[in-house]
Amino acid sequence: MKYKIRKGLDLHLKGEAMPEMEALPIPQLCHVCPTDFRWLKPKVLVAAGDSVTVGTPLFVDKNDERVTFVSPISGIVKEVVRGEKRVVECITIEVDTSAEPIMPVLFDDDDNAGSHKETLLRYGLWPCLRQRPYSTIPNPDRKPKALFVSCFDSAPLAPDYPILLKEREADFAEGLRILKRVVGPDVPIHLTLRDGADNRFFEAAQNVEFHYFAGPHPAGTVGPQIHRIAPLDKGETVWYISPADVCRIGRLFASHLLGFEKCFALTGPAATHSRYYTTFYGADISDVLNMQTIGDNVRKISGNVLTGKKIDGFSTLRFYDHQVTLLKENSEREFIGWLLPGFKKWSFSHTFTAWLTRNKKFDFSTSQHGDHRNFVMTDIYDKVFPFNAVLPLELLKACLTHDIEKMEELGIYEVDSEDFALCEVVCPSKTDCQKIIEDGLKEVKEA
Amino acid sequence: MKLSDISDKIGKNFENGKPLHCFSALYDAIDSFFLTPKTITTRGSHVRDAVDMKRIMITVMLALVPALLFGMWNVGYQHFLSLGEATEFWHCFGYGLLKWLPLVIVTYVSGLTIEIIFAQHRGHQVAEGFFVTGFIIPMIMPPDVPLWIVAIATAFSVLFAKEVFGGTGYNFLNPALVARAFVFFAYPSVISGDAVWISEMPDAVSGATPLSLTMNGATEQMPSFLEMFVGTIPGSMGETSKIAILLGAIILLYTQVASWKIMLSVVIGGWATAALFHFGGLCPLTGWQQLLMGGFLFGAVFMATDPVTAAHTSAGKYIYGTLVGILAIVIRVVNKGYPEGMMLAILLMNIFAPLIDYCVVRLTIRKRKIQISRKKIRL
Repeated sequence: MKYKIRKGLDLHLKGEAMPEMEALPIPQLCHVCPTDFRWLKPKVLVAAGDSVTVGTPLFVDKNDERVTFVSPISGIVKEVVRGEKRVVECITIEVDTSAEPIMPVLFDDDDNAGSHKETLLRYGLWPCLRQRPYSTIPNPDRKPKALFVSCFDSAPLAPDYPILLKEREADFAEGLRILKRVVGPDVPIHLTLRDGADNRFFEAAQNVEFHYFAGPHPAGTVGPQIHRIAPLDKGETVWYISPADVCRIGRLFASHLLGFEKCFALTGPAATHSRYYTTFYGADISDVLNMQTIGDNVRKISGNVLTGKKIDGFSTLRFYDHQVTLLKENSEREFIGWLLPGFKKWSFSHTFTAWLTRNKKFDFSTSQHGDHRNFVMTDIYDKVFPFNAVLPLELLKACLTHDIEKMEELGIYEVDSEDFALCEVVCPSKTDCQKIIEDGLKEVKEA
Repeated sequence: MKLSDISDKIGKNFENGKPLHCFSALYDAIDSFFLTPKTITTRGSHVRDAVDMKRIMITVMLALVPALLFGMWNVGYQHFLSLGEATEFWHCFGYGLLKWLPLVIVTYVSGLTIEIIFAQHRGHQVAEGFFVTGFIIPMIMPPDVPLWIVAIATAFSVLFAKEVFGGTGYNFLNPALVARAFVFFAYPSVISGDAVWISEMPDAVSGATPLSLTMNGATEQMPSFLEMFVGTIPGSMGETSKIAILLGAIILLYTQVASWKIMLSVVIGGWATAALFHFGGLCPLTGWQQLLMGGFLFGAVFMATDPVTAAHTSAGKYIYGTLVGILAIVIRVVNKGYPEGMMLAILLMNIFAPLIDYCVVRLTIRKRKIQISRKKIRL
């Protein structure tokens, strides 16, 4: 089935990745951060000095100890870094550079849901799955309404999935077969594809439903896709997973090989040479980042500019990211900037002349372009928020006033912070919409 | 040394614990007026739109400029016309400018003082909303209104229509209209009747506006369609020239700062109601004549579209706008005591906007429930 997303926005940033791939050398350090997983409370199983290998459990979820997070590489645990209130920020591993990042593992080959689930949990691949609402790791005992695999990323400068997944068709097919067993035969798997793109890689899949999406970002994010295909009501869950993780699962079951390799695109206006790299999850990528950055004052972001997280402290990509964006920090002050025509300023509003050249690529920076104000422009969010019958401003207000009943009525279960990223970008009052929604979701979950 | 460095250096004296801290809101307002803020994104999206409230407000002010410039000239023109003198363009303009300047200075000083005190007290920055409010107030007052009345009216509106509710964004009444309503009810003699709309008018001349002429049944003295459209008629400074207002409307609509939904529905609501009255024989004026009279268009373009006090939901905007248009004409035609219905219509609908929004939100919630249950049946 075909869907057209009309409300949305493509940001045209400079620094798109060239379709060339380079394998990074195995680094000295590996950082595994439990903070990559939303609201996770980890129970650490290792201590400094412990020797680990690919697949050794590092920590488990305190709420469900079956959900294991394993070491992506062989080496020796260097440090368990704790932050404020003793929150585990990172487990740093000194990497054994001679060891292979993809290792054979042994498990029973029973072809049933229970055994597959157990394998996924044991080898740290269960966290590849996430659920809506909340974008947390799903409870293994629950059955979802559907499983979504979004086969394209529409975010600014997002990598091309066929490049990331080159020659992994067999793993992808096996992964989908296993996932179908895990979720059950009556739960549909929805593959969402970019309408008009080269989808040969994905269209070979079997026992799945294909949906084609056209239109600007956020067409590729699961929020609007779920909203159109299987809208969520209170008490329901939908699971979703990225195609790269489907391949990872497929390889584990097809050839008993466990690996956390990560292919990512280095992008952004402040990158000297935007291209693809391969490494493994947790790998310290500070060398390549320092080498490929133009100038000193640059923000390194794991993920895209809308939902990514600033890389500071531990130079590594987050678990679910496959993109690094480099962006100039800009705190320069302009003389009467609010009065100038603004030829080089990007704006969704038509108040700058740059609107006339909006399809040109812009040199975006981290400037907020103004300070925080109360809500004033009341209809601006509607223009970039592709959910029918969900009122973004009212939902934000309900979150701000901690009105849980109203949040539920207005459809908080259907949305997530990432769905509000574009609202946040275009907001002239500089409201932190994503944070407000995340806090609202947390409140609803804890209620 | 760069300007931003100088500003930073001065700014150090206003930091917390420094002697000048009690003026930090004032410093901040001046500083951010001249230099864009250096704030960078710290959470959420790393890039943001270049637009901010200052840009939005300056766009509204820009849209008001044509009406203002024409208004200045017209104040002078009407004055010299009433004296029976033919005067040059620049003479008229200069006369109007000298009438406008004290008004606008008094408005800004009175309003901004209160804004800054509140911002300082709350530890907030001064919001930009008042720049537009203060710009509009002199444009909707009669040219000769005493300055002390303007000062009191502005202070009243900023205090009781805005700041007591939490400042720009929390107010539910349009502050500029509250200022006008304050003068209208507290000092009716300076803002109603035929004598106030021409500056320093000699007694022998009638300064009646088209609205009051209609009210008194003196329709034969009405100015022509062209005069009303161009704006060479007595009235408040900003409202007379419909061409200038339409120019402002084009700016607001092109930049998407004001909602076309509200503007369109006010005009349609007003026109339809006026046409109904006309056909029903209750009013000799046709729909288009009503739209060109008084402050209807000025209100539709600049005041009903205030995003804070109008309905916030998309569907609500249509209802709100239509009702503003209907009410404005109903008040004009039915209530002989108030020749100008626009101000009261907008203020009244400001009060009802939250109710409209409430209904729209409830309906949307219901629609969402139906949508989900339908999808479930299909699955």
